[in-house]
Amino acid sequence: MKYIVRKLISFFVTLSLVSFLVFAAFAVIPGDPALSKLGTDATPSQLAALRGEMGLNRPLLVRFGSWAVSFLQGDMGTSYSYDRPVAGMILDKIPITLTLALMAFVLTIVIALPLGIYAAKHEGKWPDRLIYCMGQVTMAVPPFFLGILLTFFFGLVLRWFTPGGYVSYQSDFLGFLGYLFFPALAIALPKAAMALKLLRGSVIQEARQDYVKTAYSRGNNTNQVLYKHILKNALIPVVTFLGMTLTDMIAGSIIVEQVFSIPGLGRILMTSISGRDYPVVQAIIVWIAILVLVINLIVDPIYKGIDPRIRME
Amino acid sequence: MKKEKNWNLIIGCVLTGMTIIFVLVGFFYTPYDPETMDVTAKLAGVSAAHPMGCDNFGRDILSRVMKGSGTTLVVAAGTVAIGTMAGILIGAFTGYYGGVLDEVLMRIIDALFAFPSILLALVFISLLGPGKYNVIVALGIAFIPSFSRIVRSQFLYQRNMDYVSSAKLQGASDIRIMFVHILPNTLSVLRSSVMIGFNNAVLAEAGMSYLGIGVQPPDASLGRMLSEAQSYLFAAPGFALFPGFVIIVMVLGFSLLAEGMKDA
Repeated sequence: MKYIVRKLISFFVTLSLVSFLVFAAFAVIPGDPALSKLGTDATPSQLAALRGEMGLNRPLLVRFGSWAVSFLQGDMGTSYSYDRPVAGMILDKIPITLTLALMAFVLTIVIALPLGIYAAKHEGKWPDRLIYCMGQVTMAVPPFFLGILLTFFFGLVLRWFTPGGYVSYQSDFLGFLGYLFFPALAIALPKAAMALKLLRGSVIQEARQDYVKTAYSRGNNTNQVLYKHILKNALIPVVTFLGMTLTDMIAGSIIVEQVFSIPGLGRILMTSISGRDYPVVQAIIVWIAILVLVINLIVDPIYKGIDPRIRME
Repeated sequence: MKKEKNWNLIIGCVLTGMTIIFVLVGFFYTPYDPETMDVTAKLAGVSAAHPMGCDNFGRDILSRVMKGSGTTLVVAAGTVAIGTMAGILIGAFTGYYGGVLDEVLMRIIDALFAFPSILLALVFISLLGPGKYNVIVALGIAFIPSFSRIVRSQFLYQRNMDYVSSAKLQGASDIRIMFVHILPNTLSVLRSSVMIGFNNAVLAEAGMSYLGIGVQPPDASLGRMLSEAQSYLFAAPGFALFPGFVIIVMVLGFSLLAEGMKDA
């Protein structure tokens, strides 16, 4: 109980800190949003009026306070470039990016676990070496280039999917998931390569421990020892690593969305960064921070549950 | 038992060496001017005149890849330099002194660390605007949290060691103890994180330039070439493949090298 309360407090402290840092960063930059909205031929009085209207002449902390309160009420400000409420622009994009990240995460596990165990079982033999070499190369490929390669091979040569043929999740959910498969794969493969290398090493290391000999001497066969004894311990570092990658998956989605023309948070983030549309950038960053922190909040107890040596303090 | 050959180190050295030579030559000589357009050679395939073909403006891809990898390496080196130096300063002071300063700074660093560094870089880029030097600054700042944490944990561990106490007894100043006595002992840990950081910087720069918010023309950049090439994927696959493979070779070489040095 105490643990949960402490975690929640630290969640809110971190979230406020991050949103304040983001807010302050955007507040102190040179460049005047009123000027960029009105253009250079605006008269000084027009600018002053708009600045007043946008609340730009109040102190920073007051502005942050009122921004945070309206953010919590669902009002994330108004886009400078489109003059539309930011909430309406980004809320329906969050499920897209989140689904992509989660799918990539699931794929990472599905690829890494069996291959990692297989490689460890065949340590030093050719399947292990082959997996090792392929893993090393995969780790070096930037996810967006992997996306381009997948588009080229599966989209243009084999025609398994239509590049750019994004299906909206509101109209056809299965089609949406189908379109996300290759983008998710592009994000997942390099991470899977890292996870499988970690798992392989960890299984091999655990297999040299004394308890493994004991388990064998009790008449267990290799598979029983592996799945009942070794994996339990070998998975601990892998789960920690996976917990950390889940947040990277969100960052990865932002980039890979561009490769596959998926209209998620990444697309809108890029256009607003180029257009200096700060309210939108700010809201997206805070939303990503929320996602990242919620993920950490969920993942933390999981690996504490797996490893009883980490006490819940 | 015969010691197995350190293949990681060997292959890593070869690939990194090739990359460095490729980039160094590119600083002084490219087969063509990377900016000159040749309408007759638009999307030309691989040939003796253009070993990697030409792009949609008829510019020689090999020359552009040479220039672009140079940009990427410079950005990555700058990023790591900023990240490491600031990381050493913050990590050393917080780890050595502890106390309130440590509490406050580490809270902020932890909050930032929870955030994927490329996103952090995106925030800074949206503040600074795109361009080569801004990318270095943005990525450099984004890398500070992870380096600070590594250095801090090393300093926390080392500050109670006997050699530090004896240096204190001999009247060495705190600054001297931090940077002359403790810092050299953290270098082996720092070295591998610098190498990993370097790779992450290469990947991050390519990603940002691919998104169009990194290095801007006329500076050639591998990421940007990839984004331009994407529309011509079917007509001229080499336009995307060559810059992409150069990134892979660069990153692979460096990570094998890092791994090989760990085993050596």
